[in-house]
Amino acid sequence: MRALRTGSSRSFTAKLTGTSMALVMAAGLSITASTVSAQTITVWSGYPEMAPFYEHVAESMKDEYPNLQVNVEAIALREHEKRIALGLTSGSTGVTVIELSGSTATRYLENDLLPAAPENVAAFVKDPANFGAFFVDAASKEGTVYGVPLFRGQGSLYYNVDMFKAAGLTEPPKTMEEYTEYAEKLTQRDANGNPTVSGWSLRLSGGGQGIAEKFWINLFQYGGSVIEPDGNGKWRANYANEAGRKTLKQYLENVHVLKTVTPEMPADAEAFERGQTAMFIRESWVIGDIAAKAPDLNYATAPLPRGSIALPTNLYVNSVEGEDAEAAWAFTLAANEPENLIWLLDNVGWLPNRSGVDYSVVTDRVPAFAAFVDYPEGYEFFTLPAIGPIEEVLTRLAGQLTNAYANADLAKDDAAIDAFLASAAEETNNILSREGLLAE
Amino acid sequence: MGEHQGGEPAALGKKAVPTGKHMLQRRLWRFAMLAFLPTLAIFAWVRIYPITETLRLSLHKWDILSKNKPFIGLDNFRELFHDRLFLDALVNTSIIAFGVLAVTIPLAMAIAALIHHRTASRFSGFYETAVFIPHVVSLVPAAMAWKWIFDAKLGPLNALLQYFGVPAQAWLFDPVLSVICIIVLCSWQALGYAVLIYLVGFKNLPVSLFEAAKLDGAGGIQRFWYVSVPLLKPITLYVSVVTLISGFNVYAQAFVLASDSQGAPGRLVRVLVLDMLENSFRNYRVGYAASEAVVLLAIVLVLTLIQFGLLREKGRA
Repeated sequence: MRALRTGSSRSFTAKLTGTSMALVMAAGLSITASTVSAQTITVWSGYPEMAPFYEHVAESMKDEYPNLQVNVEAIALREHEKRIALGLTSGSTGVTVIELSGSTATRYLENDLLPAAPENVAAFVKDPANFGAFFVDAASKEGTVYGVPLFRGQGSLYYNVDMFKAAGLTEPPKTMEEYTEYAEKLTQRDANGNPTVSGWSLRLSGGGQGIAEKFWINLFQYGGSVIEPDGNGKWRANYANEAGRKTLKQYLENVHVLKTVTPEMPADAEAFERGQTAMFIRESWVIGDIAAKAPDLNYATAPLPRGSIALPTNLYVNSVEGEDAEAAWAFTLAANEPENLIWLLDNVGWLPNRSGVDYSVVTDRVPAFAAFVDYPEGYEFFTLPAIGPIEEVLTRLAGQLTNAYANADLAKDDAAIDAFLASAAEETNNILSREGLLAE
Repeated sequence: MGEHQGGEPAALGKKAVPTGKHMLQRRLWRFAMLAFLPTLAIFAWVRIYPITETLRLSLHKWDILSKNKPFIGLDNFRELFHDRLFLDALVNTSIIAFGVLAVTIPLAMAIAALIHHRTASRFSGFYETAVFIPHVVSLVPAAMAWKWIFDAKLGPLNALLQYFGVPAQAWLFDPVLSVICIIVLCSWQALGYAVLIYLVGFKNLPVSLFEAAKLDGAGGIQRFWYVSVPLLKPITLYVSVVTLISGFNVYAQAFVLASDSQGAPGRLVRVLVLDMLENSFRNYRVGYAASEAVVLLAIVLVLTLIQFGLLREKGRA
């Protein structure tokens, strides 16, 4: 009994000693760990292909910030937008570098959910040697800088050179009318006349606002826009007109009359890389994608007839206080270091916004970039307006357009097209009116 | 007062026994309540609070980012019933929910009957597992697999149809076929659970009734139709409501069948939950999305009440 009690007592003492040692070791480890990773920041991106770039930037900061831990979390854009909405409003995100387009950031700035950039960062952004006024405006609100410009989405035509040659086409189309003519010549069909390779891949289905954005790019070539400003901070729909009719009719003609493309055909970059479409309009990231997935593809790019969308994406930080926040802002500046921007262009393909950097080492080697940087004189750009309901305007228009594209009866009926556009424009104006943004 | 107290000792003594019982009952009741309390608290936190908060939000205009939430009464609901996308979503969701119900219930009952009558077979475990697996398979990979099956160009479904001379169909792009695809996918997933519940029902049916029916000369199909089906009515009601409610909550199936990172997706079939998410996080209209959630809640409540009504009717009968 005694021996048993002693044994039990020894066992208890041993357990106590063991537990104490474990606690001391754990405490030591945690102290060591906190010393080693003294600074931790997270990077939220809506483009999975950007993850290697942010990791590259983090690597480049090692000399100056040896203890900096950068967690890159790059997910699909729509999920990224939800994450920002929930994360910023709940305040549970830790110090985070947030990648966000200028137009979407507006809502967060209006509600004081993102802080203004520190002075040194604002000075860097405002320096005309670094960024043009367009990019500074997109990262600012009422003259105050909130974000650091990084890259932009800009569209150009991608075309398969071999398919053009086979169709007897020697140069890219220069007008929207030529786009349809080319599409007809480029479409490959089976014995029954069904298209097997689309002449011109168009965005005809899917979720989100992408369908409306692509429609806007084509509409812009005809001189229209989804919404237009009145000069007094108000907006109105601008597509229930001739430009809108021409744009929608071109879609319908290609899908239902000429059948150069059908909704169920493989589309977009993936189809282009596999030789399932002869041409399509997309941003510069496709160049990096082709280099990775279809390096032997014989393709070229060309500017669009009138101009392109330019969607600037900026980096914001959700805090300005503390060492982590300081490291996060330093990260936004490091991302704009010339060597990192050249790496971005070379390896990812998104166009950096910073000027005064010699990108020729990449653009000379990859001629496909020419259409994005060496565009003709008078080439115009447009961007999404920095107003709260722009996503809703585009998402709802996208829903309307999906139905229209599937409606073969519209294809040869201008009056029906006009009625459809008038109805869609009314919905757009109702949204603007509800938000107090409708021009008289 | 004192006289009264001293004058009725027997009465007091009589009262002492039930008081003790009462005290015991009260203690038991208190213990039961205390034991229930954590569960009730969790239930209130994860169920009651979100529902009341959703009801409250539906009467406000809130963009998720702003600190201001002005009260706007029933404006969200008024707008809702003129909203083309919401009405589309409501119609699509109803068609999908009732479509899944129409496919799942008879099929599940028939499969459960077949498995039940093969209980002695050494493959019975395999049959049950094979039917139940789709219910436990993760939804997204399963939907991705179905997306491939339905693919207009590369999918095996069209290959099979063409083998029999039927022209290929644009399953994920045609407005009608894309809804049918979602019904098929949801039914495939719901079937396993329904079969499992029906199997439990079949195993509890009184054998004597089947023997009596057999003696009366009823064949297998007659016994199934005239004995099993009526006796399984409570099970059918339960499975129907569960299937219908889960049908009204359809979201991921529609999303995955239409999604594609490279812009080569299917036609997005608008359903209620998807519309709510879009209004909340893309359009920043949380109050408006809450009013949609209230409508969905009302639909589900009505369906549940119908179930209770039918069960009560059954009980009276």
